[in-house]
Amino acid sequence: MGVFTFVCRESADEWTAKQLSGELETSAGSTYELQRKLVQVALSSDSSGAVQSSFSYITPSSAVFQVVVGGASVDGNEERENLTLVARKPCFGLPTACPTCLPVYVYLRFAHLPLNLEFNLIHPDSDQIPFVESGNYVAYNNERGGVIWSLKEDGIVDLDSDVRGIPEWVSTKAMVESWLADAVMYELWVGSDGKSAYKIYYSDLPWPIGKILYLKQVRAVKQLLGITSENAERREEEIYRRSTSAYGALSSRLGEESFFFENRPTSLDAVVLGHVLFTLHALPETSLLRSKLLDHTNLVKFAESHKAEYIDANSSASVPESDPSTSASRRGPSQWSSKPKSKPKREKTEEEKKFRRRTKYFLVTQLVAVLVFLSLLGGSNDAEVELEDDDDALNYD
Amino acid sequence: MAVPTESHPENPNLSDPSPEPDDLDDFEAEIDEDDNDESEEDDEESEPITPDAQMRVDRVSMESLFKRLSTERVPVRVHDVLIKGNTKTKDFVIEAEVEALLKNATTVQQLLQAAGVANARLQQLDIFDSVNITLDAGPPELPGTANVVVEVSEAKNPLTGDVGIFSKPEARSWSLEGSLKLKNLFGYGDLWDGSVAYGWGQASEVSAGVSVPKFKALATPLTARISLLSQDWLKFSSYKEKALGLSLGLLSIGNHDLSYNLSWRTLTDPSQMASHSVRRQLGHGLLSALKYTFKIDRRNSPLRPTRGYAFLSTTHISGLVPDNRSLRFIRQEFDLRYAVPLGFYHAALNFGISGGFIFPWGRGFLNTPSYLPERFFLGGNSSPVCTLRGPTSILGFKARGLGPAEPRRQERGNSNNEISDVSTGMDFIGGDLAATAFADLSFDLPLRVFREAGIHGHAFACTGSLTKLTENAHRELSFHKLRESFRCSAGFGIIVPTKLFRMEVNYCYILKQHEHDQGKTGVQFSFSSPL
Repeated sequence: MGVFTFVCRESADEWTAKQLSGELETSAGSTYELQRKLVQVALSSDSSGAVQSSFSYITPSSAVFQVVVGGASVDGNEERENLTLVARKPCFGLPTACPTCLPVYVYLRFAHLPLNLEFNLIHPDSDQIPFVESGNYVAYNNERGGVIWSLKEDGIVDLDSDVRGIPEWVSTKAMVESWLADAVMYELWVGSDGKSAYKIYYSDLPWPIGKILYLKQVRAVKQLLGITSENAERREEEIYRRSTSAYGALSSRLGEESFFFENRPTSLDAVVLGHVLFTLHALPETSLLRSKLLDHTNLVKFAESHKAEYIDANSSASVPESDPSTSASRRGPSQWSSKPKSKPKREKTEEEKKFRRRTKYFLVTQLVAVLVFLSLLGGSNDAEVELEDDDDALNYD
Repeated sequence: MAVPTESHPENPNLSDPSPEPDDLDDFEAEIDEDDNDESEEDDEESEPITPDAQMRVDRVSMESLFKRLSTERVPVRVHDVLIKGNTKTKDFVIEAEVEALLKNATTVQQLLQAAGVANARLQQLDIFDSVNITLDAGPPELPGTANVVVEVSEAKNPLTGDVGIFSKPEARSWSLEGSLKLKNLFGYGDLWDGSVAYGWGQASEVSAGVSVPKFKALATPLTARISLLSQDWLKFSSYKEKALGLSLGLLSIGNHDLSYNLSWRTLTDPSQMASHSVRRQLGHGLLSALKYTFKIDRRNSPLRPTRGYAFLSTTHISGLVPDNRSLRFIRQEFDLRYAVPLGFYHAALNFGISGGFIFPWGRGFLNTPSYLPERFFLGGNSSPVCTLRGPTSILGFKARGLGPAEPRRQERGNSNNEISDVSTGMDFIGGDLAATAFADLSFDLPLRVFREAGIHGHAFACTGSLTKLTENAHRELSFHKLRESFRCSAGFGIIVPTKLFRMEVNYCYILKQHEHDQGKTGVQFSFSSPL
């Protein structure tokens, strides 16, 4: 690590710089060029690691410029001191494609905090993710009601201080966090064919592990939502009905404003924005929930405009290039299309049941045949052994 | 040399034609007549000789027979190996153990020796209650031949149970284990066992396995084992490890051992206090690895070696499935031990050096960290003289009490601006390059009562180092830094071996340790398994 301090002087429209305790010097026509040259000169004499520099005027024609080269640990620690959000993997054109991580990301973007985004690709069944860390401080999602609440309690960021007392705000947030969250969970794991869920959560795990965890999660979601084979259709109707009324309520609350309450972003906006973006981009086009959402154009416009302003503008390195399969989703609101599946589901379950029954019968008969064969084979082996012994006895005499 | 075979009991009714048979035919004739007499029971006419005279004649002939056997080589050829008594066991299982051995014998002495070895081998299969090998004369038309009859009696009760304290090679310390064994279920000499083990380091394991000594034409025994292992490292490194694995023993010839292991490992942190690097490694992983072990142990005793040397090398290559999302690393460790006897007081000097490294491979391997549970951790109270498990122990330091450490999550309640003077706990995250070395002088204590009980004393000095190589840390590694990273301890103690366990009482003095290491100067007890 090297620290280079230069004293810079201007005379006759030209800036010259000389190292305070050393022999390096250079000159240039403007302060910008001078800084660039000085950094290059410093790197050429000590070329290890990252560069930090600072330029300060002392008088209008003299300044001090300091270059710190290397000190990678300083940089690393500084990075660690910044907020880091660890979330699930980005895809479908979203900075993070998991429906619980996206609202937290949006909330931190609303707060204009400098943020590092890191991804955890190997722990899809953890309820600790998303978490926010800064140095040795960590706020997990399964403590104290979530990351957003922990950040408020620990004094890092709080966007809801004014609105927390408004009863409408509280009840709208409760509705979004229960009805719409359930609807998304249902649609992602049970209602659709599972390809989106697989891509988001399990595409970075080796195949056998991914498959087993996916089946476990589907079962867990069904248990959580109280879905059994008898009430599956009833629950599905109920979930969709609730989501329809929730969308209607949100749409009428929003109107033509750009935020829900007091024209300022709050955590409610973050949660709704996260939900809408996820439903529009990550769920397949055949999804019923998605088509219901597209009926409310002001919600879609709300999502698109905020995405452009807060997420895409800040993305730079955090959102990787979307793969060609999802490039279709980068469309304006007028171009959203949806092809919801209608009613063949009920007959499909009947067929599936018959198919499963037949497979069971087939497997059982196979097993019985194998067992019968083994027992017969075991009996004949014993007979062979006895014959051999008799033969030996004859030879012996 | 005792030959544990049963030979024919002399038939007192035998009429002996000549007192000193001087060629094999007569010898064979003797045995023939024995046989004939036995099988044809009362058909033979017996000459009326008084019992006393008969016995004298018999004794003389037996003595001459033994004299011949001890002085000359009596040639014989094995005509046939007959196997009796096996109802369930397949013939080829027994034949594979003994046939080659017996058919290669060319003289009677060799045959007797081979019969003894064959008997021991069959006993080792652990599926028979008793084994008898008898030597008979061959068919009468082929002179100079012998038949060998192997009579086995299979275990009546195939199920056995066992509870004990063992020290398994994979476990870090000893464990209490209960197991059920099913012997010879399918007649191939197969041994099925299921076991439950609870270890000292909060490790618990449920496993089931099968081992087949010889399956069809393969030359080596096959073993397969399924296990569910869970280990709790919350106190030391803030994570809990669960592994569901299948391991196959592929090759086990002489000093070489090759096995394949496929396991699904999960790291979790229920305490939610983990440090930064541990947080990044929590999750699932698939390990598909080949393990090759080469072991030579020429010491005269594994627990108190006074002469000889031992060398062990283990190579572990993981990531053999073409899927690039599975864990990929190479891990190599080796141990070298040397014991020099000193002649007085049964004393011996033991030297040992162990080392190992782990490094990931695959895309982007220079920037990925190594897999946390497979790193090296130094510390613990296991005696370096007895354990041949790679670089693991330095006396005087607590388990995992050495090496790179990271601060845990800061306690809630301290805001970011306060400087907390309560030390946050440290997580020991292990290292990629490990080396340990020790020198140990063991001697008998002067009192005879101690000597007879096996209690002896020892003085030792150990040193070890643990450093990180991955994530570009190897660029900053220099010889000077490596030298600085060695910690040392020295001390003396008494070793008390009892039937149930082996106890060591040591006084350790830490000569050099780093800032966060957990080495304590003082008296320490350590227990290990008795074998």
